[in-house]
Formats: sequence, C-alpha cells, structure tokens
Amino acid sequence: MQFVFYNNLKNNFLEIAMKKIIFLFLITIVAFPQTKVEDIKSFTLGNGMKVFVLEDNSIPNVAMYFLYKVGSRNEYPGITGISHFFEHMMFNGAKKYGPKEFDRVMEANGGSNNAYTSQNLTVYQDWFPNQTMEVMFDLEADRIANLNFDSTMIESERGVILSERSTSLENDPMEELWDAVQGAAFFAHPYRWPVIGYESDIKNWTKKDLENYFHMYYAPNNCVVVVVGDVKIDWVKTLAEKYFATISSGQKPRDIHTVEPEQKGEKRVFVKRDVPSPYLLFAYHVPQSGSEEYYSLDLLESILSSGRTSRLYKSIVDDKQLAIDIGTYYGQAFDPTIMMIYAIANQEVNETDLEKAILDEIGRVVKEGITEDELQKVKNQKLMSFYRTIETISGKANTIGTYELFFGDYKKLFSAPEDYNKVTREDIKQVAQKYFIQDNRTVGLLNAEEVEQ
Amino acid sequence: MKKLSLFTIAFFLLLYSSGFGQFQLPEYEKYTLPNGLTLYLMEQHEVPLVYVNAIFPGGAVWDGEQNGLAALTAEALLFGSKNYTKDQIEQNFDFLGASISANAGTEAAEVSISFKKDDFEKLFPIFADVIKNQSFPQVEVEKRKQRWIAELEQDRESPRRVIRNYFNKFVFGDIPYGNPVEGTKKSIEGITSDELRGFFNLHYPLSLGCIAVVGDFNTEEMKAKVESFFPSTPKVDVPLLPRELTKEVDLPFGNRVMLVNKDDSRETTFMIGGKGVAWNNPDIVQIDILNTILGGRFTSWLNTELRINSGLTYGARSGFPHYKYNGTFYAYSFTGTENTVDAIDLTLQVFDRLHKEGINQETLTSAKNYMKGQFPPDYETSGALADLLTTMFFYGLDESYINDFEKNVDAMTVEKAKEIIAKYFPREDLQFVLIGRADEIRDKVTKYGKITEKSIDEDGY
Repeated sequence: MQFVFYNNLKNNFLEIAMKKIIFLFLITIVAFPQTKVEDIKSFTLGNGMKVFVLEDNSIPNVAMYFLYKVGSRNEYPGITGISHFFEHMMFNGAKKYGPKEFDRVMEANGGSNNAYTSQNLTVYQDWFPNQTMEVMFDLEADRIANLNFDSTMIESERGVILSERSTSLENDPMEELWDAVQGAAFFAHPYRWPVIGYESDIKNWTKKDLENYFHMYYAPNNCVVVVVGDVKIDWVKTLAEKYFATISSGQKPRDIHTVEPEQKGEKRVFVKRDVPSPYLLFAYHVPQSGSEEYYSLDLLESILSSGRTSRLYKSIVDDKQLAIDIGTYYGQAFDPTIMMIYAIANQEVNETDLEKAILDEIGRVVKEGITEDELQKVKNQKLMSFYRTIETISGKANTIGTYELFFGDYKKLFSAPEDYNKVTREDIKQVAQKYFIQDNRTVGLLNAEEVEQ
Repeated sequence: MKKLSLFTIAFFLLLYSSGFGQFQLPEYEKYTLPNGLTLYLMEQHEVPLVYVNAIFPGGAVWDGEQNGLAALTAEALLFGSKNYTKDQIEQNFDFLGASISANAGTEAAEVSISFKKDDFEKLFPIFADVIKNQSFPQVEVEKRKQRWIAELEQDRESPRRVIRNYFNKFVFGDIPYGNPVEGTKKSIEGITSDELRGFFNLHYPLSLGCIAVVGDFNTEEMKAKVESFFPSTPKVDVPLLPRELTKEVDLPFGNRVMLVNKDDSRETTFMIGGKGVAWNNPDIVQIDILNTILGGRFTSWLNTELRINSGLTYGARSGFPHYKYNGTFYAYSFTGTENTVDAIDLTLQVFDRLHKEGINQETLTSAKNYMKGQFPPDYETSGALADLLTTMFFYGLDESYINDFEKNVDAMTVEKAKEIIAKYFPREDLQFVLIGRADEIRDKVTKYGKITEKSIDEDGY
C-alpha cells in the first residue's frame, strides 16, 4: 500500500529503462547487521570530494553513487525544475565523451545507470561489473569536470522532460493533487513547487541558466561518492586520485535561508478532474530528517500506514470499506517538511465521510496514543525493511550516502537502532498532539465536481 | 576475481566481448515428497532472513469464462484458513515485521513470505495452513470484490496500466493467454466463494506445486522442519492441459488498429506488435540479445530514436513476454497527442531498419557485454533466488538456464542475428493498440490498418 512518487520504473513491464527520474525517496534505517562501522572506509580528496567505500563480494558487481547536494529547494521561480533538467543534461555530452557517448560507452562495458532528483538531492547511480570500474571513473570525471551544453541536445531533452511531466499527470490523478497541496501547504519555502518544475519554466529556461547552475552546484566539494561492491579500497583510492582529484573545487553554494512561516489555520484546495471517485490528500508541517522528533514521527507514520494492521488501512480500507487505497509519505528532507496522508475513495463514498473517518483515526492517536504492541510492531518492521534494503549493493550505497547527508554523519546509521528503540509511546503521542492539529493542516480534494458547501 | 592492472587496462571502447565475473547458481537441494510436493532449499547467509515462495498452476489462463477468478482466488487465500482467521494471519506477520503475499499472474499463482530467521516457528505454520486448508469466508470475499471493482474503474485513469490488457486480448483473441488477469467488473461481480473453493481444489494440490526456501538456515534442519508440515497425503493428479493454451497465435488479418478513446487524454499511449515465442523456445537468449538492441536498454534503437534524438517521449521499449506455451512481441511508448503519428512512424522505421540492415559487430558486442554485466544483480537477494527456483520448477528449467547463460550469449553472431530477426521479429500482421483522444487521431491512424474502436469506460478489453 506504499505510494511511492515518481518511482523508478526501470524494471516495470511497460516502462523503458527510465533514467533521469524524479524521486522522493524514503528509507528506513537500523544498523547493518553484518557490517561494522569500521568496514566503511572513507577519504576526502584535496578538492573536497568525500568518498566512501564498502567492500562486498556477494556478486562481481559494483554500485557507485554520486550524491550532489542540490535539488528543487535550490531553485527559484523562473527556473523551477532546473535541477531535474540538469540531471538529464548530465547524460548529454562532455568533453571527452560527446553527446550520447556516456550511455553508449557505459552499456558497451556492461554497465547501466539511472539518476533521480528530489527536493533536496540529485543522485547518479552506476551499476557495473567490477572489471570495468576504471571506465566508469573516466566517464564520471569527464562530465563533472567538463560538461558541455549542446544546444540541440538541450532542445530534445526539453521535449523528453515535457513528456515525463505529461505522462505522470496523464496516468496518475494523485500527482495533480499532490502538486496542488504541496503548493498550498508551503507559500514561502521552495518545497512549494514540484520537483519537475512548472511547465512554463521547463519551456523557457536557457542555456545560460544551465551553465550557471552547473558552476554553482556541480563542484566536487558539493558531492559525496559511495562505492559498494566487489572492489578493493586501494583500487578505488587510486582511481579517485587519478580521475577526480584533478577537478577543481567550487565555491560553497549559498545556504537556503527561507523559513516557512508557521501555518495559522487550515488550508483547503480543490482540483477538478473527471475521476470515478474522489482523491484526498492531507499535509501536516513536521520537522526535517535528523531533528530530535524525527524518529518519533517516522514511527508514527508507520503506525498509521505500514501493513494491513496499520491504523488507517485496517479501519478505512478493510473494516469500513471507505477507500481502495490509503497511505502516508514522510520523505527525507534538509528543511522542515510535510507529512502526507492520501486516500482514494471507494465507489459511492462521499468525500466528506472519507475525510471525517481519516481525521477520526488521526484524532484517536492524538487522544489515546498507541499500544505497546503497536510500538513493538513498527520497531520490528523497521528492522525487517532495513535488512531488505541492505541485501543489495545498491541499497547499501544509497543508505550510506543519504545518512551522511541527511543525518550529518554516516555513522549515525549505526546508532539508529538505539535512536528508534529510545522512542516511547509517550513520545509518539506527543508528536501526534503537536503536529496533527487543524491549524497545521492542508486538505486537498480532487474530484469531478465540487460540492457546494 | 582477476584484477586488471591500472596501466594495462584498455577500456575506452570495449569492442571485444568481455568475460566478466560469471554468475553461477548457488548450490541448492531439490526433491519431491511422497505427496508430490517439490521442495527447493538454498542457503544464503548475508542477512538473517528467510524467503519462502510457493507456486501453483493457478493463473488467469485457467479462468474459463470468469475472468479474474484466478487472481481473486489467490488473494482470498489470505482471508482465512482452517486454523487462522484473516486477522490472525495479518497480525502475526505484521507484528514481526514479516510479509505475506498471494497473487496470481497470467499462468501461475504464488504465495510468498519473508521473515527474520528466528521467527520461523511462529510464521511457517500459518503459511502452510494458508496453502493447504482454505476457508474463503464469504463476508471477506464480498468486501474484497466490491473494492476490486472500484479498483478496476480507477485503473482506467491510467492508460499505461490497462494497455497490456487490450493488447493481449487483441493478439490472443480467444486463446486464454488473452484473459485479463484482474478480470472485468461484470465477471468479478459474478464470482462466489464456492467458485473460489472449486478453483482452489483444482489448481492448488501440493502435487502440482513447489516451495522454495532460501535464506539464512541450515539445510538439514530446515528440511525436517518444512516436511513436518506436509505429511504424506495421497497424491492428487493434475488437471488436464486445455488444448487452447497451446493453440498458435494466428493473425491472418493484416495490420489492425484498436483505438481506445479517453476524452481527457493529453497523450497517446501505444503498443505495436504481434506474435512472440514461448519459454521453451531454443533461441530465447538470442532473441533477448536482439531485443536488448531494439528496445531493451537505454541506448536501444527505439529509445534512441523516440527519446534521445527526437524528444518525442520519456521512454520507448520493446519486449517478448513469454509464457509456457505462447508469447507476444510488443513495442511500447507514449507521446503528446499531436505527435502520435511521428512517434508511430519512427517505431515502424526502426522495425524496418532491423530487418533491412540487421546489426553490426560493434552493436552486438555491446549488447552481449550489457546482458552479461547486468545479469548477476538480478539474482542478488534471497527473494530473487526463491523466485528463480519456483520459476525453474514451473517452466521445467534446469541449472543450465543460469549457468550456461554467458555461453549462450557468447554464441551469438552477426550472421545468426539475421536468421533470428527474420524468424521472430514480426514485420507483417502488426497489431496496434492506441489509447488517447480518438477524435484527434482517428483520421491520421487509419493508414496503419483497419480500425476497431472502444471507449476506455467500457467494461472489458
């Protein structure tokens, strides 16, 4: 029942290796069971690029991730969506490897790649057989140091992005509502615009905008590299020195200093679209990743929506048959963000009844708190989902990188079990009481007709 | 693993076919109990988890007149068994952070669980009861049917979610491989608990299925534990194979177009294709290599033309979905309504180019490297290996399927490619399914073939 936005559809039957996607991601963390803190090696190059290495020889392959600290929160009106567009342009030619060469050379060497952009990060992912690692370093170094902006490629990529935006709206009404609710919940902070950008901005940004963006954010000192797989640390170090150390560092990007003012009263949004039954979306302002209340909020989210016995699924979908889908989203974020609760109504279900039923469930957690069993359940779920994540070299690479960035230190992933275990029933009740209040809420409804109030 | 030295590696464009670290199927045990149930056990110790996957011949090809019967039966397995209610099943799995799922696809039904290894005693008995002793409580079945119908309606909001149903029906006609797995509103409405029970009795006898257990355990201990749940019941024999499943796809119609109208579309979603191949086709790896070049990777010809060179779409791909006795070939993409003809023309030009020009050595080598390099990650997790083992059982594959993969890839040549293209990549009798605004595109797409029209709101496909 998890609703993942802009999912990576690479292995889906109908979707092409759809690289260059937008992705709001969520991860859950407890420490690696068979990996110790000292197994993860790291070094920093002279230009400020930080590299993490974890040797894992379960398959003869490597996952290499580049996490740039830039996303749609670094944009402003007029260039919204440019982080994501930039992500696409990183595949469209540099100095040594011209347009189309990056993918051609990588695939000819047995590698594949993808990338995603969120509000906070842009992440490039390479997966390849370990013997071809040097090619991958060469390819990456070329585009980090010498990206080229070919005008023809810019125009054709603009078409690709417009199709990407259009196809997600075509196939998913919730997408349309999501953009509207996000835009209403935030009115000052850059989290208010969609990661993919406004259509008019996509059509109008210029080559100059791209060049400026590149110089501002794509410097080695704004990037964390994670290499996990059948490699030796010394080999990675040698290659990093040879290919990456020579790239000059850039200025520290400007801080995002805009703070979303406190919300003072419920906001409501309506989107008209011809759907068989209404779509509902609630947003509550909550603190960011790594904040003191993060772990309590993360567990609260699981209590609401993780599994068939979760509060919302059990009550709204199974018992009352009011919705055919329900879920929540609390993504990783550098700045204070929102927790989303979404639902698609069952046939003949009135949106008012559905809204009331969901708010009643939330109200119950606020008033009565949760049970000891529920708390233990979500802690068990965190552990299981963590094991599943680290079964793959990709999962490990992503976890190390995002922990380093969102929690300030990859080592925090080793203290995470303790951080989750410390959370009590009282902590969860407190965050529910503090944030699940009407004044802090935005409610979105998408339906064929708006009912007169 | 041999490591190449820093200074001798010649890498800029690898034009020779490389031997990457080869993936071999890990050791496992396979045997059949007196009651006919086949068991696979494979130890994997990287994380303290166990994955169990059971497979039965309970897919939509066996639906008969009641589309969706197989899929609803599979889901309803979790609504309660002889010894556990729906709530008990859900609470036990959820509480331990474990998972249980039951689904049917076109041919097979699968029940899968995963859990922390220490929780075996608490969860495996439930799993065993679920696949052996069903109750199909009517109240739960009716609840699910009602939501199911609402889901079918919502699915029609997403052309990419439903286009395969239209396409399969169009290509297979009355051959059961054209059955929509999720059924139709009308067919789901008519299904009763008794019919689920009847389907279960026919398609889930242990002698027809297999269970694969993969993960962090000791094989000898696990064998004894698992077997204790499946005592020697009499072996039940197989339902007969309906002759229709093996019927060849016959498309003597010339090119045909199915135009599905969706009034509020901003784009046209399309599939173009025809007859494909079955699992046991001896050329399946060779076909896969050529499909990689045509539409199976980012730099494939379709994606290059429709996306990279022209910016008409976010993605284009092709594939050969293969079943036990049948298969299809398709190319798939989507584009703004105004670009419909451009995108389809380009697709057809790419098909033509494949037939006229074939492929060169450089392209073939690249595709071989790509397939070999991307192969090991497909089998990285215990869950993926459990899936693999049940797939091998269901389709009668042996280890050579994995272990000879690289050898089979290497055996492909440019000359052989010509034969494969001519033999398997459809060029005539192409079937087009287009979902979009019919009034905007109708006149322009008549050139592709005889048009049949539907509205996306109509029940069925």
